[in-house]
Amino acid sequence: MKTLVFERNLARFAASRLASNFGSGRAAGIGPLRLVEAEPPELPSTEWRRVTPRLSGICGSDLATLDGRSSRYFEHLVSFPFVPGHEVVGELETGARIVLEPVLGCATRALDPPCAACRRGMHGDCERTAFGRLAPGIQTGYCADTGGGWSHAGLVAHPSQLHPVPDSFSDEDAVMVEPVACACHAVCDAQLRGTETVAVLGAGTLGLAVVAALSALSASGRVPGAAAVLVGAKYSHQRRLAVELGATAAIGPDQLGRAVRRRSGSLALAEPRASAGPGPLTGGADVVFDCVGSSSSIAQSLEMVRPRGRVVLVGMPGRVHVDLAPLWQREVRLAGAYAYGTEVVGPPDGRPPDGRPVDGRPPDGGPAESVGTFALAFAVVAAHRLGRLVSATYPIDRFEEAIAHAGAAGRRGAVKIAFDLRGTRDRRAAPSGRQSTGGTP
Amino acid sequence: MRPLPFPFARPEWPASLPRPVPERRVGLDYDHAWSRRYAVRLARAMLLDNVTRPVARLVAPTTVRGAEVLTHVTPPVIFAANHASHLDTPLLLTTLPVRFRHRTVVAAAADYFFDRRWKAIVWSFSLAAVPIERARVNRRSADVAAALIEEGWNLVIFPEGGRSRDGWAQPFRGGAAYLARRTGRPVVPVHVRGTRHVLPRGGGPRMPRRSPVSVVFGSPLSPAEGEDARRFAARIERSVAVLADEASSDWWSARVRAARAATPSLRGPEVSAWRRAWALGPRPKDGRDAWPRV
Amino acid sequence: MTPRPGLVLEVDRSTPPTLFWHGERFVLERLPEGSRIVYAPEPLDPLEDPVGAIRHALLHPIGDRDPLPALLRPGMRLTICFDDVSLPLPPMRAPDVRQLVIEQVLEMAAAAGVDDVVLVAALALHRRMTEAELRHALGDRVYDAFAPLGLLTQHDAEDPDNLVHLGTTERGEDVEINRRAATSDLVVYVNINLVAMDGGHKSVATGLASYRSLRHHHNPRTMVHSRSFMDAPSSELHSSNWRMGRLIAESGIKVFQIETTLNTDTFPRQFAFLQRREWEWSVRDRAAFAATSAALERTPARLARQVFHSIRAPHALVSVQAGEVEAVHAVTTANVWRQQGVEVDGQTDILTMGLPYICPYNVNSIMNPVLVACLGLGYFFNLYRGRPLVREGGVVILHHPTPWEFHPGHHPSYIDFFEEVLSDTTDPVEMAKTYEESFATDPWYVHLYRTGHAYHGVHPFYMWYWCAHALDHLGRVIVVGGDPAAVRRMGFSPASRLDDALEMASDVVGRSPTLTHIHTPPLLMADVR
Repeated sequence: MKTLVFERNLARFAASRLASNFGSGRAAGIGPLRLVEAEPPELPSTEWRRVTPRLSGICGSDLATLDGRSSRYFEHLVSFPFVPGHEVVGELETGARIVLEPVLGCATRALDPPCAACRRGMHGDCERTAFGRLAPGIQTGYCADTGGGWSHAGLVAHPSQLHPVPDSFSDEDAVMVEPVACACHAVCDAQLRGTETVAVLGAGTLGLAVVAALSALSASGRVPGAAAVLVGAKYSHQRRLAVELGATAAIGPDQLGRAVRRRSGSLALAEPRASAGPGPLTGGADVVFDCVGSSSSIAQSLEMVRPRGRVVLVGMPGRVHVDLAPLWQREVRLAGAYAYGTEVVGPPDGRPPDGRPVDGRPPDGGPAESVGTFALAFAVVAAHRLGRLVSATYPIDRFEEAIAHAGAAGRRGAVKIAFDLRGTRDRRAAPSGRQSTGGTP
Repeated sequence: MRPLPFPFARPEWPASLPRPVPERRVGLDYDHAWSRRYAVRLARAMLLDNVTRPVARLVAPTTVRGAEVLTHVTPPVIFAANHASHLDTPLLLTTLPVRFRHRTVVAAAADYFFDRRWKAIVWSFSLAAVPIERARVNRRSADVAAALIEEGWNLVIFPEGGRSRDGWAQPFRGGAAYLARRTGRPVVPVHVRGTRHVLPRGGGPRMPRRSPVSVVFGSPLSPAEGEDARRFAARIERSVAVLADEASSDWWSARVRAARAATPSLRGPEVSAWRRAWALGPRPKDGRDAWPRV
Repeated sequence: MTPRPGLVLEVDRSTPPTLFWHGERFVLERLPEGSRIVYAPEPLDPLEDPVGAIRHALLHPIGDRDPLPALLRPGMRLTICFDDVSLPLPPMRAPDVRQLVIEQVLEMAAAAGVDDVVLVAALALHRRMTEAELRHALGDRVYDAFAPLGLLTQHDAEDPDNLVHLGTTERGEDVEINRRAATSDLVVYVNINLVAMDGGHKSVATGLASYRSLRHHHNPRTMVHSRSFMDAPSSELHSSNWRMGRLIAESGIKVFQIETTLNTDTFPRQFAFLQRREWEWSVRDRAAFAATSAALERTPARLARQVFHSIRAPHALVSVQAGEVEAVHAVTTANVWRQQGVEVDGQTDILTMGLPYICPYNVNSIMNPVLVACLGLGYFFNLYRGRPLVREGGVVILHHPTPWEFHPGHHPSYIDFFEEVLSDTTDPVEMAKTYEESFATDPWYVHLYRTGHAYHGVHPFYMWYWCAHALDHLGRVIVVGGDPAAVRRMGFSPASRLDDALEMASDVVGRSPTLTHIHTPPLLMADVR
């Protein structure tokens, strides 16, 4: 059965690295990713289940890996050859639909007793992702033993990785759950108190997911939310979506600094410049979510965050070159937000999530509960009907086009691109879902 | 790049050994005799005539008056001029007749022109400057200057002691007068006008602004019997004032006013600052625009 | 040859195309038959001896004032205030009128032995002037005598130590002005009356005021009721300033007002065709037009802008009067009308205007879209007395490229105004309520106004209020050749050509509308009957 496999091949690696200089995702045809016929992976033990993917998304970290631009840090955390694809909505043998939580923690690796992180439910921080009964791999989609989402042969999953999909969800809604879970984790980790000014840099999938998470979680009373959310989005469709999903204002990235300066009433240090923003601010936003992860976006985040504020790197950065003097002088906290696990949030106040914000209620205003991030993600996806962010789907034999589209998603008016692995006979129209039409946005 | 190890790099002095203090000879201690050696004089003459002179003329179109006075004067003499701008020295040097020009030293403030070694080298080479103390009366400065004059060097000195602050002159000090009495050589008064528009005092390095300049030489003065340095200095100041009057009006009216002791003072009216500036009059017209007016 | 008065031309088939200004270019447009074009009067002959005329005015003042030498005595505090870089337009050739006047005043002050003299540039909330601009306005002699001593200051409306609150008028308007002026024995104000809006009590009451004072008349309500603000008797703006000026006089501040008017000789010889009537263009004029247009098309915008802003107008002094404020201003206004007045019969459905590269607020700078609106709907729309040139509900068509470009150093608050305020609302009353306060008190704008060369944070709002009367009066505003996104942001309609604009206008004013074009600059004032 057709499968996309990522193999260790230095020549192809170098070629893809070179080709990616001309644009992200262009390298798919000549890179280490190949379409092969493969058998389904072996079940590591009897409790593992076989999953047949229905939709599998293409993520920014996948693109970076395919471009050869991901950090060499991950060398020991992946095992070749692997099948990519960790944003998966699939079907068990019983026909039940599930969403995959791809992190391969102690439970999946049959490691007992589990590490400190897994014991607390913070699977994303598991210390043993390169050990145990499975080959090294931080997630399904980077591990040689589990298979991945971009394949008709399917993948294998431990019961702890499976989340049932409600019938009201379309496949597109379900495939958005994993990226939204990353966003929910970042939002919960930022520990907002309801009075902050928040800036979000980048309005691709992750940026929009962060905006959606901020508004939905605060509307349902889980998290106090923010007083104002300013989004820097390069493209007009991204700006429109950002405002629909609850942002206070969505502006071009070079004007974001000005808007933050106006709202926070701070001064700017440099002489006013023509097109670039006002330069380093003396005050700024309380929290900046950097959903781009490039040198210039991190530099911009440091310029617009207030002293002792927090910059959260939500998307995977590569090797970046950043001047850390502003970070040191203004005592800024630079934090990474990776994956998901368990969050401590307020209880839902029973109100229907219609987007009305809760007035800055501090977290100690009520009993807290521990909720899995994916549970919060399901709620956010349902509240905002985020399936509409899946702009186009492709069959895996057109993977070069799919990856090129994903690499240029913003410019081409798209948000999320996914592979459609449903066979023609069971391509059923799910409620409020969209018919996949292979490549049409 | 990694730093080179010894012996390729300079060694550090061991901490346990006392290190002698290196002597820096700057300021009044600067040894400037080298700038009067023949080879250096030759090089300086070429610099003055071929570089400094044309550049000065370009930046400050000069009118020279009274140079014929100098045809009957035998060197060495002391030139005493008013001081408004750093341009005065090169301008004056390049305006002097040739037989004076290449055997002239300029008295320059030790604390300003000789405080760093490289400055001392540059000014003593290009302008034949010698350091003198300007804040107090200093025996050594006076001895050095007198010795040079006795060797046959002309001396250019600015009795004000520094550049004018507001366009009017400061009271003339007694240095030139004292040297004249001591060496017995005459003092030639000189008035330089307009350099304060070309290279104004104050501010950092800036482009000189082209503006006409005039230099007027007067007849040499010698101290009278029993005239002390202070009275002689006042007399020098008055004759420079007469030259200033001559530059702004004409020789005859200046002479008439000098005879009646009605020459306007070099120091300007004793009124508030803006009125002193107002009394300086308008900036001289260049007469030529660099670009046509659109 | 005596200069000819203004003219209203009726366009027919033999009329040549009309020159329209288009920012840093000019184009020729054919107006439909039956349109009217209002041409400005020709420039009046200048005074033969300007310096003599100035001295005469100072020695023979109008109104209840002694001649200037009699008002000067040793030991007094004298303050000389002057109009800032926004006048005249374009900047005039050296020597500037202010230089001539101030030099004469200072001669008299020096002769009288006055020691305490300070010069103040009456900026109100405009930007500070650069050294080059001050040297141009005052001359090198005055600048070199006063600037190095710190005696040449620029009014800082945000410096609480330098402001004095004099009281409130009978309508509750605060009057707060520059402390140096308020505590002087005599304030001499040197004014250039380019348009009839300037001068009179407005010089001191606005030029030396603070935001607290200005917001009483620089607001939407006052501007809507100023019909027009070029015609002082019908202008609420001027009534307010007059009340403030009288309060200033009653507080014991003696003002010796010197007002001057210039002729409208606006363009130097090379660009003379810009102020000649098209059918009178000589061969040289036509060649100059063709060559200049061709050259400008190939020139990058920045270079073209530099060339235009270096134009020095051959404005010449036509009248000068000095003395008591109100008496002087009456004579000045008559002189302005003598030069600029044109009689126009009746209103029109459509008013067209070509907008040049310069307005009072972008000298040596970039004309951003907000300033385009202010020039067109503020200044040019209000060049009338009696009734507006265009009828209520009519259409104004502006001709300007409206580039989406802002000067970050001069107009920083305009950028945020354009992005944040105009994308929310274009209604002056709305924006005054919601946004004006935060812009006026924003610390960064205040910092840039006080230490840099930026217009005050609230200034873009004033530009928009200047259009308030027009926005209230008109049915539609169309911009020809403008950046469509910028034009739409301001709530106007973009059109790429004049014909398309006329098509769009006919939706509002009907199939066969009347059209009037005002051929300005040079400046004119329409007396509409």
